[in-house]
Amino acid sequence: MRTNAVFPGLIVFVLYLAVPVAVGHIDYVMSLIIAALTIGGIAVAWALLGNLGGMVSFGHAAFFGVGSYVSALLTLDAGWPVFAAMLAGGAGAVIASVVTMPALRLRGPYFALAILAFAHIFRILATELESITHGAGGLLSIPVLPTVAGFDLGTKIGGYYVILTIVLLAMAGYAWLRQSTMGLALLAMHDTEDATRIVGVPSTRLKALMLVVSAFITGVVGAFNAHQINFLDPDYAFSGSWTVLPIVAAIFGGYRTISGPLVGALVIYLVDQLVFKEFLPHGHEIILGALLVAMIVLSPTGLVPLVMRMVTRGRHAQA
Amino acid sequence: MLKLDNITVTFGGLAALTDVNLNVDNGEFIGLVGPNGAGKTTLFNVISGLVKPTGGSARFDTTDLLRQPVHARARIGIARTFQIPQPLHELTVRQNLVVAQKFGTGRSDARRIDEILDFLGLSEKAERNAVSDLALTEHKALEVGKALATDPKLLLLDEVLAGLETTGKRRFMGTLEHLHEQAGLAIIIIEHDIETISTLCKRAVVLNFGKIIADETPERIFQDPEVIRSYTGEHGA
Repeated sequence: MRTNAVFPGLIVFVLYLAVPVAVGHIDYVMSLIIAALTIGGIAVAWALLGNLGGMVSFGHAAFFGVGSYVSALLTLDAGWPVFAAMLAGGAGAVIASVVTMPALRLRGPYFALAILAFAHIFRILATELESITHGAGGLLSIPVLPTVAGFDLGTKIGGYYVILTIVLLAMAGYAWLRQSTMGLALLAMHDTEDATRIVGVPSTRLKALMLVVSAFITGVVGAFNAHQINFLDPDYAFSGSWTVLPIVAAIFGGYRTISGPLVGALVIYLVDQLVFKEFLPHGHEIILGALLVAMIVLSPTGLVPLVMRMVTRGRHAQA
Repeated sequence: MLKLDNITVTFGGLAALTDVNLNVDNGEFIGLVGPNGAGKTTLFNVISGLVKPTGGSARFDTTDLLRQPVHARARIGIARTFQIPQPLHELTVRQNLVVAQKFGTGRSDARRIDEILDFLGLSEKAERNAVSDLALTEHKALEVGKALATDPKLLLLDEVLAGLETTGKRRFMGTLEHLHEQAGLAIIIIEHDIETISTLCKRAVVLNFGKIIADETPERIFQDPEVIRSYTGEHGA
């Protein structure tokens, strides 16, 4: 019990203090960590939808893109404060998820493909609705994160703290949802949907709610990214990478666990950028693919469960 | 309480139920009998909302039943068990009941959950996995437990006694009698065993080829030549 409380606290301490102290002065590394956390945030939202809603999405780029565009446009064209606009970005992604809800009538791969189609539709809309989105030319000079209480969040360290907080809050919300009675009902729905409906569980409504929550998290992460890189165009904002990388990260880290998607994102992205890219500047993603295959063969449940099993075995060996 | 008028269900041209009329009053204990394929489970599926009838109407108290989605029927007091037990996956026995209570009644009452577990003899297995750690009798008890956790007025039991050995069956029958007498629940039970129906029920309804062919006391039902023919597979006369 005590270990359970201390370990996450230690991790949070390392993330908030040790990381900035150790590498905060190296902008390149901080940029990579921020990008990894951004992917991690989407991966957490993706895994939430999969584990609780029972839906595999190939279209989270839609929510990411809508969130980033809404926030960027509200700050650029309507003068909104950045943090309020970021929340509105999440709300925009929620509206986008409501538009995709007819796809909830589909199951398994059909839902995944329908959501993928929606992501393409949103990219086309962002390109064609020039009077609102500024079209294919994109958005330049998107406002940076503000200074709060004398601390400039527009710096690499500031951005790191903001995205770290967003991702940890998302994980806390996910953990709370999963242990709630609603979370239990959602887990049970995967294999016994009729039996859960019979005892009063409104299954379609709960699935829709998980889609909304997942979209909100992804939208806020997308909004953060817009203010971090200060540039957007439709191809970038709705790129398939915002779907594929989080899925790879979640599967690698352990999509059934709360922390797996974030751990997967940090490991995959940082190892890829800092190690594989050094050896193989072009096509280094192929090593990433091989690593993912190796993980699936070695531990289909992912890295976090693998490490936990090894720790447990080590403890038993010591005892 | 429950009033079904001319309920008809067809599956691709095949009539599973034809003009079924059935009234159930508060506190009744009804045996629903008939040969395999007679439409008994289909009738339960209609009442619980899993099958939409192609014709007819249904009321539960003042509610137009057919306009209610499946989950809403638990809230108005209709609960059912499945012929093949369907414990909620990935959950413990207690969590099965907690989910059923929370969504079926909108309340969380841990004491009531403990009472149900105790009543059904599941207390010792409360924290065990509901899918992998239970024997058949316990699975059947859990089916009833989930239904009770929704605080029902009408309980539909689909062959809940089937497959139980004699002692387990007798004990389970005692539990059902207690539920009926003490809790005042209306119960409809699908059961093939004539003796069981005669022991538990004051009224039996016989379905054959999707039609109600008899609705009487069990004693008279099982002397009815048409009922006997339906069981022996003779269709003449």
